[in-house]
Amino acid sequence: MTRAFCYALVGLLTSWAVGCRPVYEAPIPYDSSNKPGTGLFRPAIRRSLDGVYAVSGGGGQFGREVSLKWSYVHDGTDTVHAATILTGVDAGFFNLEINQSVDSLRLSGFWRTLVNQGTGQAALTVVRKRRGQLLPYQGPTLAGDTLALRGTFDTGTGSATQPITLTYLRPLNPKPFEVIAHRGGGRTADLLGVSENTLAILRRAARFGATGVEIDVRYTKDSIPVLYHDNRLNQRLVQKNGLSGGISDYTFEQLQNSFRLQYGEQIPTLEQALLTIVDNTDLRFVWIDAKFSGPMNRVQALQQRFNERARQRGRQLQIVIGLPSADAVDAYRALPNKANTPVLCELNPALVRELDASIWAPRWTLGPQTEEVKAMQAEGRRVFVWTLDDLRFLEKFSEQGNLNGILSNYAPAVAYYYYTTH
Amino acid sequence: MRYLPIYLFIAAQLLPKLVAQAPPDSVEQRPGIYFPQAPQPGHWRRSLGLTFSPAPPELTEELRISIPAVDFNLQRGLSRHLYLVGRLQTQFVQSSGTLGFRYARPLSERVFVSIGDDMNGWFGILKIKDVFNSQAFGFKNFPNVSVGFRPSPDLQFTLKAEAILTLYYQSAVGGLSVSQRGQSQNGYAMTVVLEQPYYHKRHMLIGLRTAYTRFNWQFWPLYSTFDKHLFYPEILLHFIL
Repeated sequence: MTRAFCYALVGLLTSWAVGCRPVYEAPIPYDSSNKPGTGLFRPAIRRSLDGVYAVSGGGGQFGREVSLKWSYVHDGTDTVHAATILTGVDAGFFNLEINQSVDSLRLSGFWRTLVNQGTGQAALTVVRKRRGQLLPYQGPTLAGDTLALRGTFDTGTGSATQPITLTYLRPLNPKPFEVIAHRGGGRTADLLGVSENTLAILRRAARFGATGVEIDVRYTKDSIPVLYHDNRLNQRLVQKNGLSGGISDYTFEQLQNSFRLQYGEQIPTLEQALLTIVDNTDLRFVWIDAKFSGPMNRVQALQQRFNERARQRGRQLQIVIGLPSADAVDAYRALPNKANTPVLCELNPALVRELDASIWAPRWTLGPQTEEVKAMQAEGRRVFVWTLDDLRFLEKFSEQGNLNGILSNYAPAVAYYYYTTH
Repeated sequence: MRYLPIYLFIAAQLLPKLVAQAPPDSVEQRPGIYFPQAPQPGHWRRSLGLTFSPAPPELTEELRISIPAVDFNLQRGLSRHLYLVGRLQTQFVQSSGTLGFRYARPLSERVFVSIGDDMNGWFGILKIKDVFNSQAFGFKNFPNVSVGFRPSPDLQFTLKAEAILTLYYQSAVGGLSVSQRGQSQNGYAMTVVLEQPYYHKRHMLIGLRTAYTRFNWQFWPLYSTFDKHLFYPEILLHFIL
């Protein structure tokens, strides 16, 4: 009897520990066509849609206000436009593309909440409100009417039947501010459908509400700067292949041939990443997190080359090197020429001044540091905090309104609080 | 929860056999902390030990963090079935205190059950130059049920199930604070414990607590943002004093 009880007890606990462990998935319930072109959404119409909207319907899961912002991805002469609606609830957002198969201003796509697995389809049509009536909308001139988006969504059922209406309230907050997406757009753990620190996520970052990205850079064995966060090539980021070690244990060719990231992507070089950002996206800020050990000159050369490329293309883009550690500071100090090498220092204010860093980026866990922030801004520097994901604190920091940018895994939440601020 | 029918089946097979034993004694004579049997009225029971709980990889990614906690239990018998339970845990950066009650009844000479409820308060302060200027505190409630099995006079097994209800949470960084009422950080836990004499007949308890919860006070400075039940195993090692 004793033995039977022991076995039952151990079996019970084991099955509890293993069997009850939830598997979290959030498959995107919509196949984007990524079709270039604007259809009926001419530039003036797109511009008129950017703004803050009141929500009716939606069962409260998208909050009472949302903000809508357009972004695009260039591929040569082709441009794909997308509308992002930021909900402010559970780091939620809609990604909608232009439905060119209909003869109305119609957007189709999906919604997602990043702190959990909320997802579903959505389809919205642009209309105008006149005395409570919803009428077709053809152009940016409203003549006293109110712009609105009306449509349906679902909660993963596959049948978008729940009604939702967004009614235009006011323009987006125009104050300059950087919404910086961590690891190129977000963590692999947040089930975004693409891996962190990849070309694919860089192309999507603006669809998460980001205006800029932070990317992690390490050197391969043959000194190629590549994007990768962790010290080790582990199963958190890389598909299982029996190999171990860190990025610096492999040549770039070996990495390309032997490793695939969780969603099947290859580990990109910093050069590929910067080329993608400059040529394909509308991002305006890049934070290169210097996770490497060794000289900084290769990264500096790429920074300068792509800052110049962006300037030549008329892009308002700034690429800075982030200095997170004493080793990175030493590598920066060792550069023979620091001209045209803007840096961001994550360490204390004294060091920021000594290095003449253009940006101070303290941890958010130090609090608002109001006096230090004011002093830095008075000296012409910008202040960002990192990596702020706690939504309650994110709201509080946003209410303070004294920062120049926030780095977060939840770019949609940062963007929501920024754009909806009066 | 999809395994609930299996648990119920096992319980249905075991309990009738276990209950059909000799008449019980409802008052505890042997050292024990988790075993669901009341101490003698007016008497104390104590244990001192360590717990080890690794941080979930979802929060620490490639880092592996496990900070031991000093754990002290204190119990006092109120009647033949009712007793008070108290618990203090500290990792120095964060500490926790619990006060609750148990109502225990024997089902047979070997099988005992209890129900109880524990109120818990915890707090943490973390100040590291250029890294943390943070503090937090909160209150939790743990309704619980335990089943104990004593196959021999010195051997006591306990299986404890508890709900984890977050009542209040407040956290501050610098001068900025946030708070939350309600039960959005709930979870549940199962604990299995063996209590028996070991070295020089010193009674010890060895146990494993496995919790699925949205929040664990031991890891408050990691500021979990996942609205998901994360898995927190915890090893318990105690001397029963």
